[in-house]
Amino acid sequence: MKCTRSTFIISALAVSGLLAACGSPQSAGDGNSADGEAVKVAVIPPSSGALAQFGQDAYAAWQFAADEVNAAGGIDGRKVEIIKMDTDATPATTLRAAREAVNQKDAKFIGGVMTSTEHGALNAQLEGLGALSFNGLGKDDALTGKDCNANAFRVVQSTTMDMNAVAEGLSKLPAATWDIQAVDYSTGHTSAKVFKAAADKGGKKMGIEQFAPLNTTDFGSYISKLKGSDADGLFAVEYGADGVAFVNQMAQFNLSKKYDTVLGFNMVSEPLFKALGDKIVGFNNNLGYDVNSDEPKNQEFVKAWAEKHDGARPYYVVADNYLSAQTLFEGVRKAGSADPEKVKEALNDLTFNSIAGEVTMRGADHQLIRPSYLGQVVKDDKGTAGLGWKILHKADGATIAGDPSPDCTL
Amino acid sequence: MDLTQLLNGIALGSLLMILSSGLAMIYGLRGVTNFAHGALYMAGAYIAYSVAQQVSFWAALIAAPLVLAALGAVLELVFFRRLQHRNHIEVGLVTFGLAMIIERVIVIIWGERTLSVDAPPGLTGTTSVLGSDYPSYRLLVIGIALALAVGLVYWLRKSRVGLHIRAASHDVETSAILGINVDRVSLLVVCIGAALAGLAGTLAAPYVSVHPAMGVAILIQVLIVVVIGGAGSIGGAMLAGMALGILQTVGAIWAPSLSVLIPYAALVVVLLWRPQGLAGKRA
Repeated sequence: MKCTRSTFIISALAVSGLLAACGSPQSAGDGNSADGEAVKVAVIPPSSGALAQFGQDAYAAWQFAADEVNAAGGIDGRKVEIIKMDTDATPATTLRAAREAVNQKDAKFIGGVMTSTEHGALNAQLEGLGALSFNGLGKDDALTGKDCNANAFRVVQSTTMDMNAVAEGLSKLPAATWDIQAVDYSTGHTSAKVFKAAADKGGKKMGIEQFAPLNTTDFGSYISKLKGSDADGLFAVEYGADGVAFVNQMAQFNLSKKYDTVLGFNMVSEPLFKALGDKIVGFNNNLGYDVNSDEPKNQEFVKAWAEKHDGARPYYVVADNYLSAQTLFEGVRKAGSADPEKVKEALNDLTFNSIAGEVTMRGADHQLIRPSYLGQVVKDDKGTAGLGWKILHKADGATIAGDPSPDCTL
Repeated sequence: MDLTQLLNGIALGSLLMILSSGLAMIYGLRGVTNFAHGALYMAGAYIAYSVAQQVSFWAALIAAPLVLAALGAVLELVFFRRLQHRNHIEVGLVTFGLAMIIERVIVIIWGERTLSVDAPPGLTGTTSVLGSDYPSYRLLVIGIALALAVGLVYWLRKSRVGLHIRAASHDVETSAILGINVDRVSLLVVCIGAALAGLAGTLAAPYVSVHPAMGVAILIQVLIVVVIGGAGSIGGAMLAGMALGILQTVGAIWAPSLSVLIPYAALVVVLLWRPQGLAGKRA
């Protein structure tokens, strides 16, 4: 059989559309019968693609929280029911899953949604759906800024909160001149801007600043440029598979030896410890959750989680989703009802004890005020792949959150 | 552009060259737009990860292409041969489905998390090339790719089997009439094409990060390389792969934000200027 070249070209171009459009919209919910008193939570994490492992962990955290509260008799007698829905982390699929969960499975609360883009799309639909969303993963500032919504509650720190914590801790790092290597995306540019302001305030000098497109696999050209710089510190904002490729290629080019200090933002974290190995010992990074925190609730959580997961300790995705569930449960408890409107009212400015210590759900923008950290990767026998964190700086939640964005009107 | 940056472009081009030559071979002979080629590359990287963990990277360099060649034989015998008289869009869609199946199987076996493979001992550091320190592993990738390109072209041009492959790629029916066992040639070509994808995946494993989306990420680029090279032309695909690798590296230096557009811009320019591709013949 002989094919024409045009067929090949058409096929080649068509596949990009197919790849982009392909999702997995099926539901895995168990569809229990409606119960007026039950607290029904649709958990919609990605079950395919690069974020699927995080999605699986997010779901496990919600289910763990639900099992825990149900074993203790529920929230004032109300049982929590988790309805797992699938998405591929695209806004369209997530919205479809959210509508199905709310309209057909009677869910009133939503959790486990992963990306900020999905949250942005979901926030706009929440009031129409009559549901509340608990965001334990999406950090984009706009979600508590121009895209904020009265029905959306962010439990995880915003990008600016994390960056402010890093900026606060910058004085504890020795480098005097810094290069910046960041992803060419809003997170990369925002982080670079906050970092430069903090560095300027702290009397640090700036060297090369460069941005690589998202999904860059070969950092050779960027690293070659960095090698020509005189800086002794590197601030890097590369995450996921990009971050692994960047760190590995840094090692191959001997770039780590050039810098006295490497500071990552969202670059190194527990899920990547095994892939990155000892190459990252001594790297510094922002840290949203301190597994070693001596807060009593955290100690109980870490112990219970480890007992149920063969000794594995929770990391930030698990902890932030568990905290999301705790936030919802506190709201239901205070409202004395599983009615979303009453829970929403109850959550405004609610302060409660949590795994992150005493936290407050700020009524003005629905951002949970909680601390954020600057940590350093150290060898740790109890940690993932023999690595763990040493906390260099703990930043106060109210300080790093700053004032609510004027763009947010609830 | 300094020497280091040129080598960066050649290293990236080397990976694209190996991967696209396999795809071009399969397309040239079977007329199949193999959308599973990215998944085969990813499978090669995952197999390399496991073999490197258990034995060594050098063992992976042999094992992964062999496993992929066996997978190629299955593809040829179960799918391509049986579907050879079907519309090639249908066959293309079958390969797209196969890619999804392979990806799922890989996720089931290895999980979703990003993995990485260390460069083999002795190649973890840098080597001085005309006074510039350059990662030794990347030099190995370049060396293997260039040796492979020369070997493959020589084999296709000088050997009897190579003659049969070139004849069958040009006209299957006439080749069969002249006594060439086209089925056997096809089996060999698909096995070699898949093995090359496995080799590219193995070489890529310490180069980039190993994750389930890595096949999809490179597939579009490789399809573009094959079209630019002249669909079905192995030499054209190699040339285009190397050129695109260098262009992308240059783009990342001069206009990082626009570098992702370079493959698409190159596709448009080549199709307008030379619709049959760099090394393709006019239909």
